[in-house]
Amino acid sequence: MNEGAKRGMFEEPRNVDRLFWGLAAVCGALVVLELIVGRHAEFPFEGWPGFYGVFGFAVFVTVVLIGKRLRRFLRREEDYYDR
Amino acid sequence: MDAQLPALQIVIPLLAAPLCVALRASRAAWLIAVTACWSSLAVAISLLRRVLAEGEAISYHVGGHAPPHGIELRVDALNAFVLVIVTGISAVVVSASRASLSEELPEKRHYLYFAATLLCMTGLLGMTVTGDAFNVFVFLEISSLSAYSLISMGRTRRALTAAYQYLVMGTLGGTFILLGIGLLYMATGSLNMADLAERLCGMESNRTVQAALAFIVLGASIKLALFPLHIWLPNAYAFAPAMVTAFLAATATKVAFYVLVRFLFGVFGTDFAFDAMHLDRVLMPLALLAMFSASTVAIFQRDLRRMLAFSSVAQIGYMVLGLSFASELGLAGGIVHLFNHAVIKSCLFLVMAAIAIGVGSTNIEDLRGIGRRMPLTMAAFVVGGLSLIGVPLTVGFVSKWILVRAALEAGLWPVAAMILASSLLAVVYVWRVVEVAWFQAPAEDAGALRRPPLGLVLSAWVLAAAALVFGVFTDATASVATRAARMLMEAGS
Amino acid sequence: MTASAAESLALLPPGLILILGALVLPFLRGRVQAALTLLLPLVSFAHLSLLSDGSTTNLEALGASLTVVRVDRLSLIFGIVFHIAAVLSALYALHVRDTTQHVSAMVYVGSAVGAVFAGDLVTLFIYWELTAVSSVFLIWASRSECATRAGLRYLVIQVGSGVLLLAGVVLHYRATGSLEFTRLIGEDGSLATAGPGVLLILAAFGIKCAFPLMHNWLQDAYPKATVTGTVFLSAFTTKLAVYTLVRGFPGTEALIGIGVVMTLFPIFFAVIENDLRKVLAYSLNNQLGFMVVGVGVGTELALNGAVAHAFVHIIYKGLLFMSMGAVLYRTQTSKASELGGLYRSMPLTAACCVVGAMSISAFPLFSGFVAKSLTLSAVAEGHHVWVWLGLLAASAGVMEHSGIKIPFFSFFGHDSGIRCKEAPVHMLLAMGIAAFLCIAIGCYPTPLYTLLPFEVDYAPYADLGHCLTQLQLLLFAALAFGFLMRTRLYPPEVPSVNLDSDWIYRRWLPRIVRAVGGVGAEASAALGALAGRWLALALRGVHLLHGPRGVLARTWSTGGIALWAILCLFGYLLLAFTR
Repeated sequence: MNEGAKRGMFEEPRNVDRLFWGLAAVCGALVVLELIVGRHAEFPFEGWPGFYGVFGFAVFVTVVLIGKRLRRFLRREEDYYDR
Repeated sequence: MDAQLPALQIVIPLLAAPLCVALRASRAAWLIAVTACWSSLAVAISLLRRVLAEGEAISYHVGGHAPPHGIELRVDALNAFVLVIVTGISAVVVSASRASLSEELPEKRHYLYFAATLLCMTGLLGMTVTGDAFNVFVFLEISSLSAYSLISMGRTRRALTAAYQYLVMGTLGGTFILLGIGLLYMATGSLNMADLAERLCGMESNRTVQAALAFIVLGASIKLALFPLHIWLPNAYAFAPAMVTAFLAATATKVAFYVLVRFLFGVFGTDFAFDAMHLDRVLMPLALLAMFSASTVAIFQRDLRRMLAFSSVAQIGYMVLGLSFASELGLAGGIVHLFNHAVIKSCLFLVMAAIAIGVGSTNIEDLRGIGRRMPLTMAAFVVGGLSLIGVPLTVGFVSKWILVRAALEAGLWPVAAMILASSLLAVVYVWRVVEVAWFQAPAEDAGALRRPPLGLVLSAWVLAAAALVFGVFTDATASVATRAARMLMEAGS
Repeated sequence: MTASAAESLALLPPGLILILGALVLPFLRGRVQAALTLLLPLVSFAHLSLLSDGSTTNLEALGASLTVVRVDRLSLIFGIVFHIAAVLSALYALHVRDTTQHVSAMVYVGSAVGAVFAGDLVTLFIYWELTAVSSVFLIWASRSECATRAGLRYLVIQVGSGVLLLAGVVLHYRATGSLEFTRLIGEDGSLATAGPGVLLILAAFGIKCAFPLMHNWLQDAYPKATVTGTVFLSAFTTKLAVYTLVRGFPGTEALIGIGVVMTLFPIFFAVIENDLRKVLAYSLNNQLGFMVVGVGVGTELALNGAVAHAFVHIIYKGLLFMSMGAVLYRTQTSKASELGGLYRSMPLTAACCVVGAMSISAFPLFSGFVAKSLTLSAVAEGHHVWVWLGLLAASAGVMEHSGIKIPFFSFFGHDSGIRCKEAPVHMLLAMGIAAFLCIAIGCYPTPLYTLLPFEVDYAPYADLGHCLTQLQLLLFAALAFGFLMRTRLYPPEVPSVNLDSDWIYRRWLPRIVRAVGGVGAEASAALGALAGRWLALALRGVHLLHGPRGVLARTWSTGGIALWAILCLFGYLLLAFTR
């Protein structure tokens, strides 16, 4: 999504919407393409269609949400060590 | 000509000394001394090369009388190496000395300094080169007497007391050695070292020989300032003229160490000295004590000169430690450290001389901020200091590395750890000076600096460069020392 | 004549030109100095081309034969990429007018290069310590209180690593009698059968490689170095450690686990970190994990993967640090909470940053892809399912912190209102070259593959399915980012300090010490006072003996000295005769 931002004004909500849905469309196309091209898989579960996409999406969300939780424990004021 | 080299080694400075007195003029005397020193160095180097090439000792019979009755000069890998050190350091120091000498000595007395230095050198070279035990005593007295007069040339009156104390202690040491040699003669009827070594075989239980060992070890320990017999040294170094200190620190104690090594390994043999008499049990603790105690004293010193002097006592500890392992590696470590310390300490004392001229004081407090005002001089101090600590790529690392290896080889883990720990003390006392000189702002009321003579700074840098070069190309010193150590161990066992 | 001159030049240890050249720098000023700093790595690079594979230079020293220079394929590729990084970093630092930084950077680079070509452990140790001591000045050159402290912590840990290395080398030498730096781990790759020396050496390498719980010096110190200093730092220290692992510990099974943990845990910290240069430091840590896994798997393909990854990583991580450095240089801040919308002011920097971000995320046609694929294939071939899944998850994580967070929060996102000048020309040039290399290697990896230590039988673009799945992974991750932003689930950037393992030595240990001190003073005052009194007494004793007026330091009377000497003689004689 960042690479698109160079072209248009990133702050404008209309453009942001377009970018997001454009990206979603590309993602959908990739899954379809995968079905057409076909690929070999090293592990059985890896062969499931869309595995990589779902995995990437899930991991990303998990990482961010866990990170958010972690912040509660780890966050300190900026001058924490100087006090 | 080649055959006469061992004799020339003594004769050159011996003849040059009265020449200085005859000429009197400062510059002329200096020129003669410089020429004599450099040609002695050339002789020493060619001797070393010959010994290394031929692989066996060169024997020179004085007056053509064959040993054991005639006097023999005997040059092997060990003493050829010591000869190079002594003449090399003398050459650098004497070349640098005229400029700095004017600060401490009226010009009309310069010739005395040069003559005494040459005589002292004669004595030291003679002690090194001779193969005759009694000759060692004779040359020792020559070198000591001239050293007393050199020290007493110091500016302050305290130089006289220092020289007097050195005289008393030196005489005691010399007398002990003479007594030891006399006892040996009593027991064996010989004075030639090689001959003595043969005759001493199987005399382990002879009380006379045991007493001879005690006297000689103690006499040599006094001369080389082994802790706790070092008390004469700090004052002698601190109150002598700076150039004398630079000269003596690098040569006198080193030759005394050589004498100790020669007697222990070349005359008494390791079987007698270490296996039967357990000398290592005396020397090793003393060496370790020296390393720690003298370094600690150096930390507390306020005067740069005395700090360096106590550091010398600590470094002598390292040499004796190497010897006390009674192994080839340990001995090699001691010998390499002899070389390294001679280079480092004379470099540092030359720097100290430059500081004394530049700042007019050697009090560490007065050195604030001089790093920026005398960068070249203080950079040489940093190089010397790093070597003293034993930082890799400097000579100091080489010898400490060998010593640590020797300690590990002997299975003495704690000793290896103590070598490393005592290096930390060196870090402290070197850092104290570096911090004051480089990181503190100059005092408000600091007077103008005088520019130290270029020759002095250059000479310090020649030695600093040597400390770096031999630290990188370690083989030059280590291989000679290893050969010398192997020769001694083979002959002595 | 010329042939022999070239031969003798080839015997010169690589890196020496840089180190010796650095000694000349203090005598120059201004532009000339900066220009020479750029020239030195170029000359040294040219010298590198004189080295031939398989040649060695031996030195008899310290009673052992040292191999000061050993040239083989592994050392050559690291030598090459170190020089590329040195040239780019020096170009980037062309505006710097600070002798300290120039000198320390050149000594640092030179010692890192020297270390890579060191054929024995002693030489390695010397360079190892030299990298530590020289690099700390790049941190101190920030000349702030917090940089000084961080630099001190960095120095202690780095020198500590060197001490461990030395101890390990001594033990290893005692055990095997060999100082050669070659495979140190046994054929079975098990740490259980390795000697204590080898374990110590691994610990030393591990510290420098920022293994989990030994990692924090990296995140602590790198963001506090100068703008250009961080660029230098990012390239050498940790990659030198990767090199030593590849050389000494290939196929060490424990490294697989360590590597996976390394790839995963920094991700979480990177999400919540506000200082973008610190985010990059966490990301650096995560990338090292991939290389460590490759070393742990230890097959030819995996080792190739680790080395290739190190190679491309040096370039794109340098590029990312350069772009963040340029932002810091122009705006005086690198905090995400204060930045945003900079693409208006710094479009070229933004473009370069995006190239770096896409490379590190391993988009097809970018350099990260052609390197990371090697490691992932090797892991898959070894049927390490969980490891493979871990690395895949880490890849999605990379997309998060480096692929999106870095460019998004600095150049796009919420407009901070900051308007500044574009980065200086020399910085743009350095970034441009790095970006070009990222794309060039990504599109045409053959030259890189031919440099790798083992033969490469792998074509990343032959398997279209693989490219497709990789794109899927990354774009779906990007989609997830969009989703989280739209639903406002994405945590906002706020100024903060996040606790990490450095808390142990920055807070916990001091607190313990203080607590113990408190206990000593209050609860068991008697004991504390006693201990204090003993300590004071001991110190006073030392001072009494050794101080300026101590018995060991003061001038004795002449009679005293003589008496003492004679007492010593009697003592000795007594000892000798009563034996």
